[in-house]
Amino acid sequence: MMYSGDAMRRLFPLGSYVLLLFFLTGIWVAISPFVMTTQPSGAHWIPSTINNVVVGAILIAVSLLGVVGYMTFALRDILREAREKQLKQELAEQQAAGLAANQ
Amino acid sequence: MATSLIILLAGGWLILAPFALGYQPYGADWVSQTTNDFWVGIPVAVVALVSFMLFFVSLIASLRAAGVLLVQPRLQQQTLAPGPAMMQTPSPVVPAAYESQSDLDRTLATLAAALAADLNNRRQAQASSDQQSDQTISNRRDV
Repeated sequence: MMYSGDAMRRLFPLGSYVLLLFFLTGIWVAISPFVMTTQPSGAHWIPSTINNVVVGAILIAVSLLGVVGYMTFALRDILREAREKQLKQELAEQQAAGLAANQ
Repeated sequence: MATSLIILLAGGWLILAPFALGYQPYGADWVSQTTNDFWVGIPVAVVALVSFMLFFVSLIASLRAAGVLLVQPRLQQQTLAPGPAMMQTPSPVVPAAYESQSDLDRTLATLAAALAADLNNRRQAQASSDQQSDQTISNRRDV
């Protein structure tokens, strides 16, 4: 059995927090032209706005993919370990039952 | 690792973009967008570079642990004694890094077996010489 704290630590390692930081940075990069009013309202997007939105979107997408990848692999490992434990337990029970039947 | 590499490239592009795309006038003070992109790009690139290096080091370590990469043995430097000791014929010295416990055990076992065989030969030779001396004594008594 695994404590919920351990499971959470395995699901969200240190790398996930760094990726979360990149995610927030990506949001800021994408919205900064509008927040800093370098993009005139109502006009077509200027090159700097297009650049910032594209780079921000890349940062958001990549960091989200990274976090999801971390979680997926950690979840797969946890499930695999649980299955192996269950199989070992069943095998031990079967062996114990066989020994009892022989005696 | 691929994620950190992509983010490293994105951070580098954020630093360069104002100058590459030309929305920063040449020779003028930095506009607010340039300042923002530059000061956001630098931490992004640095953190991505650090995480890439950490991932790379851990990848190498796990490959070594799995036996895919071999660890090079570090040779211990042998200090040579100056003067007359240099003139002596050096006995074959095996570096300590190459000596493993099993080699030492094997050498000691071979040495012990050789000593035991030598002792046995001496005992047999002594026993045969004793028998010969007994026979000569008995022959003399008979005569």
